[in-house]
Amino acid sequence: MSSLSQFTCFRTLLASSLKTAYQRNMPTMNAGIQVRERHTKHWAPAFKKLRRLKVQKVKLPNFREEDTISELTPDQIRSRMKEQGILPPRSWMERPITISATGAVFEPYIPPEGDGKLSSLTLGGAKQSMEFLSKKSKSMLAVRKIRSFEDNFSPSTFAEEAQDIYIKAHKALVEKDYDTLHQCVTELCFPLMTEDLKMCTTRWQFLKSLEPPRVVHARCTDIINKENIFSQVTVRFHTQQTLAVYDRFGRLIYGSEVVAKDVVEYVVFEKHLANSYGLWRIHEKIIPDWMPAREPGRKTYVQQKPVVESEPVADTAVPATPTEQSAAVA
Amino acid sequence: MEILLRQFQTKSFLSICKCLEPAYSHATSWTSGNAMLGKTLFHTSNTVAMPYNPPKGPRKWPIYNKKIFAPQLPGEERRPAYVCHMRTNIKYSPFKMWYVASMIRGMSVDEAIKQLSFVNKQGAVHVKEVLLEAQKLAVEKHNVEFKSNLWVAESFATKGLVMKGIRRHAKGRVGLVHYFHCHYFVRLEEGSPPAHFFFETAPKTTKTLLSEWVDEMRQRRIPGSL
Repeated sequence: MSSLSQFTCFRTLLASSLKTAYQRNMPTMNAGIQVRERHTKHWAPAFKKLRRLKVQKVKLPNFREEDTISELTPDQIRSRMKEQGILPPRSWMERPITISATGAVFEPYIPPEGDGKLSSLTLGGAKQSMEFLSKKSKSMLAVRKIRSFEDNFSPSTFAEEAQDIYIKAHKALVEKDYDTLHQCVTELCFPLMTEDLKMCTTRWQFLKSLEPPRVVHARCTDIINKENIFSQVTVRFHTQQTLAVYDRFGRLIYGSEVVAKDVVEYVVFEKHLANSYGLWRIHEKIIPDWMPAREPGRKTYVQQKPVVESEPVADTAVPATPTEQSAAVA
Repeated sequence: MEILLRQFQTKSFLSICKCLEPAYSHATSWTSGNAMLGKTLFHTSNTVAMPYNPPKGPRKWPIYNKKIFAPQLPGEERRPAYVCHMRTNIKYSPFKMWYVASMIRGMSVDEAIKQLSFVNKQGAVHVKEVLLEAQKLAVEKHNVEFKSNLWVAESFATKGLVMKGIRRHAKGRVGLVHYFHCHYFVRLEEGSPPAHFFFETAPKTTKTLLSEWVDEMRQRRIPGSL
């Protein structure tokens, strides 16, 4: 080893004597480090300004503006709009507005725990199915209010109508017939039903009703004025359905076309009573906590880590030389 | 019931400048924002506060993402998912972008991103960003399970906006300066990349070699014969 090192030293010495002064002083040629050298420097730098004046500057449009707009302050946006000669939008907006549906369920129905698990032929099941609407005073008041607008409204007949609306709505959803769907479903419910299925194909079948549909809850509310009344009626369905959802490429992502499932649902129907053209439409669905979990999807996901906002670390001067304390720690 | 309301603009300029938001998010923002009306939903008419800017540049490529295929039969082979993505009017020459676009054809997404990180071209920065965006879209919107299980099926660049400027040469002569922009398009497909993407560089099987040799032999003619 020592003999080899003698030889290598001899070689470098010899090489250094043969190298030019320029080569000896260039670190890139000696140290063997990777460096990017500039090859675009003009050989006559004194005429740079004149050379620059040869080319007429052209202002190119910025196509990447939209990416940076969110980082601009309102004053910056205002100045940019002035540059482009765009007038600012009106500071107020006067538009005619139609309130055709409420934004939530008022005093939602709380379904009894374990509903739908016991057969109506057993004692427990029979007791469950015997919860009469007539014993609920608030609901009866609401029904009376509905009757003041709709003369021949009765909970028993309404339950059957509600099931027809339910089937019609789901058929329209499957066929993507959004005109009919708007007739059967309120503005709150529409995006909840359609948004995830926009790029999917759905196959749905209503097989049969296991129990007759039943009105379990009714409430009336007024929006803005005392006369502008909306009514919400909750109907309990116990039905047998099949559902299969295929993604954009025709691959099955949920359910099955042949496996029938028993479904217990509490669907809230809403009607704008003050509106003479108001219709009973599906508004929301009440999903209690004790309901069994749905069939999991056929896809794995990467769990999103919760964004933890780190506390700002206080700037402390780091000692350049090891002090007694740091030395002790080390 | 129709009501004329004066809604004072609580939104900032920033939200105005953004593109039209989807209908359902409008509805939810109104329900939370305006305390005066409580919990209601507005069914509003569609008015635009800003001047209309017609769409410019290529628009057909993303339409491939909207195609919905018929549900597959149980015995059919699983159709691979794909996503089409593009970036328009990149300030780069399409002639230079061709090198970057053609380099990544047939590569898996991970390999393409790795290679692009070390290509010494400005276009490579844009192509890498587009690939990452496309990968994200595939997972979030096009039901692709694994983001690495994608390969570059199509990758090409076309001419975008060309602005012309002038420059002077010696003896009062004038020269044109072209400021090129390009559009870059990519289609990522689900699955592992094919063994040989380019037909010309794929090794020939013994069967094809044999048949080609036989054809060559049969093409021989004796010159001057009857």
